[in-house]
Amino acid sequence: MSQPDPPPPPPLLALTGVSRTYGDRRALLPVDLALAAGRCVAVMGANGSGKSTLLRIASGRDVPTTGQVVYAGRALSQDDLAVRTEIAVVGDMVSAYPDLTVREHLELVAVAHGAGRDRDELVDAALRECRLADHGDALPGSLSSGQLQALHLATMLVRPRRLLVLDEPEQRLDPGRRRWLGELLCAQKRAGAAVLMATHHVELATAAADHVLVLGDGAVIGQGTPDAAAAALR
Amino acid sequence: MTVTREAIAVPDSTGQTIALLRVLRRGRARRQAASAAYWIYLIALVVAVYGGAQIAAAFHALRHPPPPTALTPRVLHAAPAGLAALAVIVLLVLLRDALWRGPVTLPQVTVDWVLGTPVDRGRLLRPRFRASAAAAVVAGAAVGIVPGAALVGLGLGGHSSASVLRLIGAAMLSTALLFACGTGAAGLIERYPAAALRLRRLTPAFAGVAALFGGLAAWTALGRPPGALSAVALWSGPWGWAVQGMTALAGGPAPWWPLATGLLGALAVAALAWGDRAAAGVPGAALRIRAQTIGAMSAAVLSMDTRGLARAYGSRGAASRARLRLRPPRRRELVLLWRDLLALARAPSRLAGATALALLAVGLIAVAGHGGQASLVPVASALALGYLAAAWLCEGARLDAEDTRRSENLPFRFESLAWWHAAVPCLVLLVVAGVPVLAASLAAGDPRLLAWLAVTVPVLVAGALVNVFRPRNHPDLFGGFETPVGNTAAISVVFWLVWGPVLAVGAMTLLLTRAIDSTSPGVLLRTVVIGAAVAVGLCAYASVRARRLRSS
Repeated sequence: MSQPDPPPPPPLLALTGVSRTYGDRRALLPVDLALAAGRCVAVMGANGSGKSTLLRIASGRDVPTTGQVVYAGRALSQDDLAVRTEIAVVGDMVSAYPDLTVREHLELVAVAHGAGRDRDELVDAALRECRLADHGDALPGSLSSGQLQALHLATMLVRPRRLLVLDEPEQRLDPGRRRWLGELLCAQKRAGAAVLMATHHVELATAAADHVLVLGDGAVIGQGTPDAAAAALR
Repeated sequence: MTVTREAIAVPDSTGQTIALLRVLRRGRARRQAASAAYWIYLIALVVAVYGGAQIAAAFHALRHPPPPTALTPRVLHAAPAGLAALAVIVLLVLLRDALWRGPVTLPQVTVDWVLGTPVDRGRLLRPRFRASAAAAVVAGAAVGIVPGAALVGLGLGGHSSASVLRLIGAAMLSTALLFACGTGAAGLIERYPAAALRLRRLTPAFAGVAALFGGLAAWTALGRPPGALSAVALWSGPWGWAVQGMTALAGGPAPWWPLATGLLGALAVAALAWGDRAAAGVPGAALRIRAQTIGAMSAAVLSMDTRGLARAYGSRGAASRARLRLRPPRRRELVLLWRDLLALARAPSRLAGATALALLAVGLIAVAGHGGQASLVPVASALALGYLAAAWLCEGARLDAEDTRRSENLPFRFESLAWWHAAVPCLVLLVVAGVPVLAASLAAGDPRLLAWLAVTVPVLVAGALVNVFRPRNHPDLFGGFETPVGNTAAISVVFWLVWGPVLAVGAMTLLLTRAIDSTSPGVLLRTVVIGAAVAVGLCAYASVRARRLRSS
């Protein structure tokens, strides 16, 4: 007698009927999305299709016009302490302290998340991982845009994380670093993190995602495995 | 520090984080303090050098206040309602400040790097609320000197130094408490979006109350309304309580002023306590949008970009979609006219503002020219208003000058745009100002009025275009050059800002003043010919500036 399949794990993040309008402009039509620990969902679509809106809602940085967002069993709010502790968001950082070095930025985030004695070790590891080891003492003004993006990605490595929300994390990265990013996200997934990312890169989605959601004019126009979505997008 | 499937305990990291940030930014804080001290020294020096004599004279006048005049009783009658109207306006300004800024704000970098961490928001935000409250109280006390000194200057409040000090002190205390009330309430508005919505809805009512009190003040100054009406104004709310001390010490009817001041003080303490408690809960979204708006506005101020300032203020949460459409023309020559009309149609407030300014200008010049004698100042003022109307209508040109890449796909050379962009503002101004001028011309049987209008409008529009296509500002502008009579920076900046109006308004003031004074057809002809030449010359100059702007 065969064992029945184990029930799927409960989703860490669940969006139900989530939509967003700005004035009379409908940026996102009702969308459902469930994301479990150790899984990665990639959101793809043309510019203006609603990817960033969906991610802002999924990270609690925007409030949906309709529908609900549940994280770890409770309504999601960016002001919730647990949300600030567990969800790492990369993509909407637009500034950096002009007088703090790369290392000091990471130290700040690590300490804010209670790193304590492990701080230096964590920061060194993140700098190495993101290939910023030679730029630890550099000020943000001297970094290239790709290095700044690497700094933003490094911030998620110096803090605890259960859910990663990444809005086009591949932007400004060269092809080599994009491949590295795919491997990094797979490693995060294997370690148990849930990953939700918006991307324009089919290769990155294929490398890291388990499921792809394709948006067009704010509506879901397709979804499935990365390969199927890639074929549909082509 | 791991990746995990399980819930993560919230760390108690606030103290460490704030201490680390303080250590890391110590050098910057020192530099900022030194810079602030330098500016305070500079301002104090400038005030002492240029305003020392006036300040000493003001102090002397306050120590020896002037005797009452015939106007004094009227001012005293109008004071309760008039001051209450001002207090309502001040309170409204303080409250509406919370809709875009508020007492609790964070710099963009802190929003980006600290707000998303589990740092205790109360410990991060409350000190900022307290600093804002302290600054508001100090500012309120400083503002209070103005009405106090005005009442003393009008012969109210007694002749001894002690009575003068009492009156000004009461005014300072009342306005400081009013500012404290406003800041506390602003904190609540920032914290609760529903309160912000309510304030937006109540703003017209506040404005109505201020207008009502203003009307009542005029009535009490000129007539004899029932005394109970002033009492209603004084007890109608904190704005009334705030003016009772001043009114009573000026000799007005406010016998219960200690009670009113006590009520205001209690309200201020309560508002600050509520605001302080609410500061910890200001939503992250509100802090983010405020940081963005303040950042954009600061950048606009530093680069002296008034359009950027207005854009930053107007973009708070705005999501607009063009509603009004105009069918594009078939002829290429009409495409810029269509584009400029569209720019005005998309910003109807510009059209309304320009119309109001143009009508004001026509009215003022009619007054200035009444009796066939025109003096320079009213004519120049009217032309300055007309210039502002023209400048408001040059929106299409300004959009092209703001970013020269925008017009790259148009079939025109950039330097020729100044000419094309003159058409719509000229047409609109001629129509808007033409109606009353035509009526006046017909009524007076004087066709010269139409000729003056026809020649003035192109000159003002061309002047506006000279300003639109001004060079980009660059650091050298603020550095200036050393000359035997001082540094040229101030004058360079002023001319960079107002070169267009100086040329247009200056030239037309001279022309029109002479033309109004004379009925000779020769003078009229000369005015028209010279005016047309000035308009063409200014447009050509704008065109040259456009070419330089593009190549810079």
